[in-house]
Amino acid sequence: MTAPAVALRTYTGRTSLAERAKTAARQGSPALLSLAALLAIFAVAVANQPGILSIPGLTLMLMSAVPLVFATQAQMLIMAVGDIDLGIGYLVGLVTVIAATLLDAQPLLGIGLLVGIVGVYALVGLLVERRGVPSIIVTLGMSFVWLGLGLQLLPTPGGAAPEWLAAIGSWRPTWIPGPLVFVVLATVVGWYLARHSRIGMRMRALGSSAPTLNKAGRSLTATRVIAFALAAVLVILAGLLLAAQTRSGDVNSATNFTLTTIAAVILGGGNFSGGRALPVGATFGAVTLGFITVLLSLVNLSSSLQSAAQGLIVLAVLAGRVITERFTR
Amino acid sequence: MSSIAMDRGVNDATSRRGPDVIVASGVTKRYGSTTALNGVDLAVSRGEILGLVGHNGAGKSTLMRMFAGRELPDEGRVSWHGGDGRWDARAAAAAGVRMVYQELALCADLTVAENGALSDPRPSRAGWRGTAERRIGEVLDRVFPGHGISVIQRVGELPMAERQMVEIARVLCTDRLGLLILDEPTESLGVDATRQLYVHLKTLVAEGVSVLLISHRIQEVLQHCDRIAVMKDGAVVDIVGADRATESALLEAMGGEVRADVGTLARAKVLADAAPQTGATAEIIAELRTGDGPALRVGAGEIVGLAGLAGQGQEDVLARLWQGGRGARVPKRRAYVPGDRQTSGILPLWCVAENLTISALGGVSKLGFLDLRAKRALAARWIQALRVRGEASTPITALSGGNQQKVLIARAFASDARLVLLDDPFRGVDVATKSELYALMKAEAAAGRAIVWYSTENREMAHCERVYVFRSGRIVSELSGATNTEERIIADSFDHATGGSR
Amino acid sequence: MITAPHPVPEATVVSVERSRPRLVWPAWGWSLVGVLLIWGFIIAVRPGAPFDPLAQALSLAPFLVLVALGQMLVITLGPGNIDVSVGTIISMSSYVSVAVSVVAGPVAGLVAAVGVGLVAGAVSVVAILLLRVPPIIATLATSLIVSSATLLLSDANRAAADAGLRVLVNAKLLGVPVSALFVAVVTVLIALMFTRTRFGLSIVAVGQSLRAAERAGLRVKTLTAIAYLVCAAFAGLAGGLLAAFISPSTVLGTSYMLDSVAVVVIGGTLVSGGRPVPVGTWTGAMFFVLLSGLLNLVGWPVGAQNILKGLLVVTVVLISTASTGTGRSTLARLRASLNPHKKETTNG
Repeated sequence: MTAPAVALRTYTGRTSLAERAKTAARQGSPALLSLAALLAIFAVAVANQPGILSIPGLTLMLMSAVPLVFATQAQMLIMAVGDIDLGIGYLVGLVTVIAATLLDAQPLLGIGLLVGIVGVYALVGLLVERRGVPSIIVTLGMSFVWLGLGLQLLPTPGGAAPEWLAAIGSWRPTWIPGPLVFVVLATVVGWYLARHSRIGMRMRALGSSAPTLNKAGRSLTATRVIAFALAAVLVILAGLLLAAQTRSGDVNSATNFTLTTIAAVILGGGNFSGGRALPVGATFGAVTLGFITVLLSLVNLSSSLQSAAQGLIVLAVLAGRVITERFTR
Repeated sequence: MSSIAMDRGVNDATSRRGPDVIVASGVTKRYGSTTALNGVDLAVSRGEILGLVGHNGAGKSTLMRMFAGRELPDEGRVSWHGGDGRWDARAAAAAGVRMVYQELALCADLTVAENGALSDPRPSRAGWRGTAERRIGEVLDRVFPGHGISVIQRVGELPMAERQMVEIARVLCTDRLGLLILDEPTESLGVDATRQLYVHLKTLVAEGVSVLLISHRIQEVLQHCDRIAVMKDGAVVDIVGADRATESALLEAMGGEVRADVGTLARAKVLADAAPQTGATAEIIAELRTGDGPALRVGAGEIVGLAGLAGQGQEDVLARLWQGGRGARVPKRRAYVPGDRQTSGILPLWCVAENLTISALGGVSKLGFLDLRAKRALAARWIQALRVRGEASTPITALSGGNQQKVLIARAFASDARLVLLDDPFRGVDVATKSELYALMKAEAAAGRAIVWYSTENREMAHCERVYVFRSGRIVSELSGATNTEERIIADSFDHATGGSR
Repeated sequence: MITAPHPVPEATVVSVERSRPRLVWPAWGWSLVGVLLIWGFIIAVRPGAPFDPLAQALSLAPFLVLVALGQMLVITLGPGNIDVSVGTIISMSSYVSVAVSVVAGPVAGLVAAVGVGLVAGAVSVVAILLLRVPPIIATLATSLIVSSATLLLSDANRAAADAGLRVLVNAKLLGVPVSALFVAVVTVLIALMFTRTRFGLSIVAVGQSLRAAERAGLRVKTLTAIAYLVCAAFAGLAGGLLAAFISPSTVLGTSYMLDSVAVVVIGGTLVSGGRPVPVGTWTGAMFFVLLSGLLNLVGWPVGAQNILKGLLVVTVVLISTASTGTGRSTLARLRASLNPHKKETTNG
């Protein structure tokens, strides 16, 4: 009793590649701030230490950015649905602990724990959607659970990552900086999840306008739960890669990730209200902030000042966002 | 009141009609104490365009949502092809009911193609993105040839007219279209696109699709619909064949003015006499420039009404008067009575007295410390004056909507504001309460306050000395005295520019 | 000036019957039950001298209460409002107060401690109001800056707290620590502020509904700024006092961040804002201090204690949002507050 409304007929307006590129550039323009920052930092670093412009140099520069980029993509997914995760720092730490203890000694238990973490994240997503509890308080509370678990498993830093993980960490191809491969990989994964896949589209729709998603007949709960679960997987990857680099476990090894990932997403053109996900921008943001850490140690800034520098940079980034918004309006 | 050759019209219209596709019978819907729909009977038949007109609060949108399965009736039922299953969103989706929302069901952060795919029921395998781009691109090409919209643009980047086109195209992204519901689809469309839309609707109808069209552009409804249903006060008061109807007859059926008839003039005169002296000579205490239209002026001791269809810029005027700033000259002390009691009115955890006095705390405190006795007395005076049901210590949420509204009005008038802004505060308030509050407003104005009152209920505007009618963000007329009638307001609310038959 | 309704039917002012104090279960009731329960456990584990654990807790709790009172002020502002910089402010102000009191006496030391809080609070306020950063990020950034400053100070500073202040903080009056009495007075003042002052009532109104408060003519930005400044100042004061009670350290305040939030929530204050419960900070703090005492007594490791605390916070938040039915609207308001410009689309 229904009539065919759409017959495949006349569509001739194939979008040309040039137009696609132009549109992508315009839509990605919020990420330009991070690209500019990245180039500036890189230039300063090169001026300071010309040795960076070599494959080993770039490897060193980029190494610290690898786990951060994965964690940033996770934060980006959660911010795309309009939430914020304040537990990422300790969770990455916990994963390094699991990697350095259980994953070697009792692999099954270790893997079980990691899967359990994904389940807990899904549960958090469920509670946020169904019970309306603010995600920042729940994830803040959970961050102490992660910290506690980490301390229980490994009270002092130590342990040893399994061989295969250490091998990943020490992979050094001669033709390309190894970490760059991981950075690109993380970006592609984030891009696929948030921008290319259908679930990513729904996640952005949830953050952009939940009533519209509901009118389209899609489940809000399922979307939020999946977003949280996918984010957990990315956080776990971040933790494993950090353990691969340090070859040991320390629950406090990534505490600064919580703020840094949020700052990286914002620097990369994301927003706090949800709906937007720019994986490339987020990666630029994360690499920039990672470079800054390296740069600060290059210029022999006292380690005491590093966190202040980070805090100030975050505030400067957010101030930059306010200013650029004024300009573009 | 209006029976525009009704029998003949209906008969003629029915004779050509196909079988009924969807039928609402005896549908009633209540929200709290207000009845949005009151025993509505309406059928849409196969292959027709049914127009639905009516003024604010006539129940059009509620009826639409009911047809779309997004709202379940309290009484009566909606049936699809005579079936008796439950008519909810799932059933409606399966039957191919698609709706263009007035507020647009689009995600600003998603691209045009993604928005199409979001609500597209058809499955698509790998490469869904390409499929989605092709699908909505084809629909756009077919409905709006030469539209100039790139399907990979984000909706948030598009101007309003193009968003409206995307919303229409989004809805047409389906292979099962049974009933198409359009809620003000041409509100922001240009002339060409509007014409293209109606051309396409004609082809859809020829393919057997049924269309339900809500529009306040009476001329369009007259030109393109087969039948027109007129709604008023939650009921369908008239159904006429479009070939038989005229704009004036429809306006009259909705409760609007046709010509300045004698009865209206007489009634208006009574109102004009009853109203206090106009504020023409009073000191102008607030002034606001509105775009290219005339400026809005409010004098001390004056009640000024903002009328017209909902969402034509009245809220914007209130917001600018409230915030002050550029183009607005406002007194320092102002008060605001919000219309949405639940989200921007009551302070839900507090009792009546605290809710009532929060804006007036400056008057009952010394150096920031409250004089509790004075605060209690202030609350008590107002509770008594307005006969608020319940004590000062009753939780605000325990009160009925009308009594909550009394408290909010009292909050504004208990402060020392010179300019009081009312944002359609009497929706869902019972008649007795309303008349008490009208009396209060008049007394307060007589005492020298200036009141700006936005209302979607045109009848209320009779209590104003002057009324500004808004359309598309502009003041289109200023009514006072004898011209300030409900009928004139309704007539001025609708756009005659596209018509010209008057 | 106040304005009377103009059509006053009778000139007499009716006396509205004052609501009689009825026996209602207070918001801090459950935390008191918790205190008694834990106390019972402690006595069961270590019989003899049943009042010792209470006295011990009473000497530790005041600092936590002081921080929690400030945190309560911020949380009462409504969804999204939280100050996570209190922990690092405590650490920093402990060093500053000691350094200043060596030079200029204990009173100046405490004033300096409050000053540290105010400066840190000002950074947060600028970020929140001018840069429009969500409070949690703003205060997190502040806390990073403050922690760097603390590290720098700790390198330069090895002085001990002023002896006089040390005596005062540890002094007892009729068996009750002087610090507890002092904080009790502060609590009473804060409670009075919430019921008797324009400022207090306005804060509560903002927390119940930002939009309604704005429409009622309240100056939301000013109120927000003052709340964050007071919160940071209280943390600074607590740091100054803790410096004398324990000793300055870079991790002195670390646990206070989550603990203060937990104490506020456990004490019955609505995490969604709009309902402060000053008394609850005491019962909540006593519960927390006794709980960690008990856990130490039975030999729970730090890790397990953290897990318990985290789960406790999540559970209490879940229960309190569910029981007041404010969950859904809270989330909506939080979203709205994150992006005031976003057009709200509804089903209508």
